[in-house]
Amino acid sequence: MCILMKKVSCIFIVDDDPITVFGIKKMLKSVADCEDIQIFQNGKEAYDALAERQNLGKPIPEVIFLDINMPIMDGWDFLDEMINLNINEHVVINMITSSIDPLDYKKWSGFKDRCPYVLNFKNKPIFKIEPNDLGCITAAS
Amino acid sequence: MKAVERVDQFYLLKQLPKATALLCKEGVLLDASCSWLEIFGLPPINKKQKTQIFSLLTEVENLSEKLQEGKSFNLQHKLTRNNETRHLKSYFAPWFDEKENVIGTIVQTDDITSEIEKEEELNWLKNILETKVAVSKTGWWEYEIDTEKLTWCKETKRIHQVPDCYEPTAIEAIEFFKPGYSQNKVSMLFHKAMANHQSYDIKLTIVTLNGEERWVRITGKPFIKDGRVVKIFGTIKDIHNQELAEQRVKEHQQLLTTLVDSLPLNVYVKDLESRKILVNKGECTYLRKRPEELIGKTDFDLYDREVAQISREEDIQVMKHLTPIIGKEAVSNLNGKTTHFLTSKIPYFDLQGKVCGLIGMSLDISSMKKKQEELCGLIKITSMQNQKLISFAHIVSHNLRSHSANFSMLLGFLNSEKDPQERKRIIDMLTQASDNLLETLGNLNQVVDVNTKTSETKKSLNLRKNITGVLHNLSAFLENNHTQIINNVGENMEVKCVPAYLDSIILNLVSNAVKYKSPDRPPLITINAMKSKKGILLSISDNGLGIDLDKYGDKIFGMYKTFHNREDAKGFGLYLIKNQIEAMGGSITVQSEVDKGTTFNVYFNEES
Repeated sequence: MCILMKKVSCIFIVDDDPITVFGIKKMLKSVADCEDIQIFQNGKEAYDALAERQNLGKPIPEVIFLDINMPIMDGWDFLDEMINLNINEHVVINMITSSIDPLDYKKWSGFKDRCPYVLNFKNKPIFKIEPNDLGCITAAS
Repeated sequence: MKAVERVDQFYLLKQLPKATALLCKEGVLLDASCSWLEIFGLPPINKKQKTQIFSLLTEVENLSEKLQEGKSFNLQHKLTRNNETRHLKSYFAPWFDEKENVIGTIVQTDDITSEIEKEEELNWLKNILETKVAVSKTGWWEYEIDTEKLTWCKETKRIHQVPDCYEPTAIEAIEFFKPGYSQNKVSMLFHKAMANHQSYDIKLTIVTLNGEERWVRITGKPFIKDGRVVKIFGTIKDIHNQELAEQRVKEHQQLLTTLVDSLPLNVYVKDLESRKILVNKGECTYLRKRPEELIGKTDFDLYDREVAQISREEDIQVMKHLTPIIGKEAVSNLNGKTTHFLTSKIPYFDLQGKVCGLIGMSLDISSMKKKQEELCGLIKITSMQNQKLISFAHIVSHNLRSHSANFSMLLGFLNSEKDPQERKRIIDMLTQASDNLLETLGNLNQVVDVNTKTSETKKSLNLRKNITGVLHNLSAFLENNHTQIINNVGENMEVKCVPAYLDSIILNLVSNAVKYKSPDRPPLITINAMKSKKGILLSISDNGLGIDLDKYGDKIFGMYKTFHNREDAKGFGLYLIKNQIEAMGGSITVQSEVDKGTTFNVYFNEES
């Protein structure tokens, strides 16, 4: 096995579907070395945790897996709120959705332009987490 | 003796009935008859006062030379006296003595004023006649029965285009008329004039000498003497151009009438007082009146006062400012029938370019209007259904895709997983995913049912009874949550609703009110019903968590939208009942305040 295990300090998984969460966690096992993986059922919970971490000076997640359709606060609203937090650290956000609605893709391109973080768009189903999703640009080659 | 004789002689002269005077060789008046003196207004002869003939006939030149010649002559002269001019004719003859010596002149004078005046009048009349003929281009003709002589005047000859020297016979004259109708007719009229003493006046066609066909108006009048026609006199006038113009006008009129009557429009012309002066068939048919019943009428005679007043104001506007009204939509009520019109009013000008009324045209667009309304309704329904379809398609694609994506992912794991324990976990997950898919399909099926089975018949249902029924079924759930319910719905309140939908609506709204109760207070649900403009209004209010409508307002009735952290919140109930209510032609609205409570208002469409 020559896959490089990437060391990641903290990962957020924000999704209300337990199966997807299970899948992401399982896939992460083989590519990332992370002690701190946090699961949230909706954007609100994730946002609250993120804001608290910023306030307390705790480490900000390096990678966020973000579902779009969620109750209470959806992926887009979470993105909006997160941009307002003005976090300076480098964050890779992977938007994960089963939606093939072109409107969602358009919305993503809009966010990509004004979001200070790396913003990937991934359609379900996902079979593998790419190095790119963890912020490794040329690590594997 | 000689003197006595002389006196006698002169006395005799004085009495002569014919105005007579004697002049000496030098032209001095020696004596005159009283009548002569009266003509010239002279006093009786006075020996001392010598009157020269030249002073009486001032305008006559060379009179003295003529007198000297000693020959007879006559001359006409005028005499103006007391502002009156008399025409005189005087005869001069030499006056001889016994030895045939000329000793003077005998003058006899006649007053010829009346003859002169008659002559002048005759000349004047001739003049007038000639002018009349010249101006009116009317010729005359005359036929003497006894001599069978036909006379044509110059103009008559000109009309026939024959030379001035041409002298026609009666037969030739008749042959100038166009063979057929004109010739037959004129022969008959000529004959009748002679036989029955009938005058005639008719328009016929002649063929001139040059072969030109022309319209003429010919008259004939018999002159009768001793009960016998002696002469026929008549006129002839070339009316070719007028006749052609008249025919053209008639043709234009015919064309215009046909056109105006055949237009699929109601057309009318009004004068400055808004009185109808022309109406076409369409207008008559619409008003159910004959044209003569409409001519001269105003809108006040035909429509309601208000409508007529508006119409009159429009008319004045058009005629005063000369700005046409084009294609204005108007509604007209007549005999209990409503008609939609597209009306136009344009100013109507006379030949001098002065406005003299208006021309109105109305196109009945009732059927188009009806179709348009139907179309608009259809478009509204279609676009609404389209919108629903699109959002449903998105829901389907998202929800079904998310399950199938999970299957793919899990199966991918299963393929490469060796650890039996891990494989079991994955299979459990697959079972879970399968159950989720089935539930989603079930939900979607329900929605499709609501939207496709529009034939589900609505029934009149007692609202209070149905509410009580649902509350009974929920009693355990309500009791567990210490719910208090105030049901204010009247005993006899009826709604038109599909029975299963009414239960679903009440069940969802009541259970939602309990589910999203405040942790600080036991749930209190108030149910009211009242009649409203939009139909029966059922409102269900709670004192629960409430929801921030500014934030979630547009999503609250969306599918799989939940707003509170509850395990049993699926985001399907409100979506379903909204579909059910709308399928029955009703609507649902929401009012809410965070941490105060929420009220849902359901309007039931009372139409079946």
